[in-house]
Amino acid sequence: MTRKRLLFLWMAILLLAAGVALMLYGEEPAPVTPEVSVNFPRRLNPEERRRMENRRVLPAAPQPQDDKPRGPERPRDPVLAALGSGKSAVVVEANAIRNSPVGKLLLECILDDSKENPIEELKREAGVDVLQDLDRVALTDDGVIISGHFGNARWDDLFKQRATSGHYGDGATVYHPKATEVNLPDGGRVTRQADSSLATWGGQMVMVGDSDETVRAMIDRVEGRSAVEQPVLNETQTYGEIYGIISADDLAKIFPADQGDLADRFRSIAQRIEVHVDTSSDVGIVADVQGVDTAQVEDLGKSLGAALSVARLGAKEQDEKEMAELLDLAKVRPDGDRFKVEMAIPLEMLEKQLSKCGERRREREERRKKMLQQQGQAATPAR
Amino acid sequence: MLAVAADLIREATKRKWFLGLAIAITAVLVTLSLSLRMEVVDGALAATRLFGKLAKNPIQSVDVALRPVFFAVAAVTFYGGSVFGIVACADFAPTLLSPGRIEHLLALPVRRWQLLAGTFLGVLALSLAAALYGSGGLAVLLGVKTGLWNWRLLVAGLLSTVSFAAVYAAMLTAALYARSASVSAAVGFGVFISGIVAGFRHDLIPMFEAGFGRTLFTGYTLIFPRISALAGAAMDIAGNQPLQVRSLWSLLAGVLVFGGGVLTLGIWRFEQKDF
Repeated sequence: MTRKRLLFLWMAILLLAAGVALMLYGEEPAPVTPEVSVNFPRRLNPEERRRMENRRVLPAAPQPQDDKPRGPERPRDPVLAALGSGKSAVVVEANAIRNSPVGKLLLECILDDSKENPIEELKREAGVDVLQDLDRVALTDDGVIISGHFGNARWDDLFKQRATSGHYGDGATVYHPKATEVNLPDGGRVTRQADSSLATWGGQMVMVGDSDETVRAMIDRVEGRSAVEQPVLNETQTYGEIYGIISADDLAKIFPADQGDLADRFRSIAQRIEVHVDTSSDVGIVADVQGVDTAQVEDLGKSLGAALSVARLGAKEQDEKEMAELLDLAKVRPDGDRFKVEMAIPLEMLEKQLSKCGERRREREERRKKMLQQQGQAATPAR
Repeated sequence: MLAVAADLIREATKRKWFLGLAIAITAVLVTLSLSLRMEVVDGALAATRLFGKLAKNPIQSVDVALRPVFFAVAAVTFYGGSVFGIVACADFAPTLLSPGRIEHLLALPVRRWQLLAGTFLGVLALSLAAALYGSGGLAVLLGVKTGLWNWRLLVAGLLSTVSFAAVYAAMLTAALYARSASVSAAVGFGVFISGIVAGFRHDLIPMFEAGFGRTLFTGYTLIFPRISALAGAAMDIAGNQPLQVRSLWSLLAGVLVFGGGVLTLGIWRFEQKDF
């Protein structure tokens, strides 16, 4: 190839590169997308592993009397022990969320919605400071389990007028609501008896259940009087600030009305959905969907991925920037007989939604302070 | 080189395509001049009649009222002109390279690169003439009817020629590899459509999920001329609206330099080809 011909080739390459550079500079600038640093919870991190080990305060559970091979016996986490083997159980690490950026925003909204501070009210009545004493809240099919430091709680004072109490097991007190008389609109009166019960255990747990039997079953599991074959949640699944197992029926209820077909498919194909949420910065949500039929699960994953893509395009077309940004961070990752759905909610978006709560509350407090100052000045006699 | 271009223009004028185009543009201008009635009072468009029917428009300043018309003319000149140019000019290069003709041309005291550049310039001259005739004719028509002389329409015509230059450079280069009008037209349409997509790349990229697909699309649209961005700029100029692009001169220079680069690639191919 002669030098002259090579010259043409080099000129062509240089001109093309120059053309691309000039067009890059001249075109409409790309919109600036805010950086989203999402931590998707996928496994126990070292801190969570330490937390899990520190929570093993109960002695090992009794083993069922059969010939099945068993794993090593080890101390247990009381909250996980109380959960049992239902279909759904979600644990919220309330203390961890309280100290996260999202938690601070949520707290401002909770306080904003109330005329009086409910946290102060509870502290006054029951001696429980939710902001300091609360550790975890677990929601199950049977009821709610709350763990924390309740050594200073005055449960008897709180419930004495409204419930009967009795000891159960090694260290539990069960409270059952008293029957109450209710006035009917026609002037008559009827006696109503609530079925639900509440139990406190060892100054560190409060359990609320549909009935006395439910609450007693929880206490039996915690104190080792009954064994659980297949716990709904084991300690290796305790990563994230919210974690748990949700049944397909429960998950299908959160689908929008126009996605009824997808909800029905979820019910019939998905067996269990393991959910983990990280709120340390931007909120990262991972849902691991498992089913029996690999082909159907794969198909469901693809359908969900397609639905997310369609929703993303629709949001962009409608110029719903926040929804489009949210859906842009959503992904479906197939993996054999399961698939993972990852979603993120940028902290900035939550701040926009929730910041108004804090602003309203601060304005109210400012007005209240001014009123108190004015009242103080009015009360001081003039010299 | 200019003689080659002039020869190409002479040949084009004999072809029915271009005769038809000239007649079509003239017919549209004449029809509009006879059928369009616009009542402009103190610079405001009071009433419009097209083929005798009164158009129900609010009374507003004539430049505001005609803005949609200017947008439409710029868009038709740009996109319609490019499509017509691709179809009509697809066989110029294959004809240049046809056996018998190419030997005759190579025997002339003209350098090879001048033959190619001359063909390219000839096609550009045709494109420019058609664009200026159409947009200029309409600018004169509307000026006479409304008193509003909008020479910005001519700028739209110039921009469409710059855009077509990049497209035709690719068509010409493709013809050197496969002497076929169909291949040349296909490459032209490919570059044209890719250029339209490239102009909207910042809107389209976020629609791809992050990963290999998005990277591939980003890389693909990076190299093509931003045809739709230029078209948008042409429409904004015609309608006297602020430009959306960061730098029109840079964009124009980029498209021209891109076209020059592709043409130089064609020259490199032409120089080494043995006829």
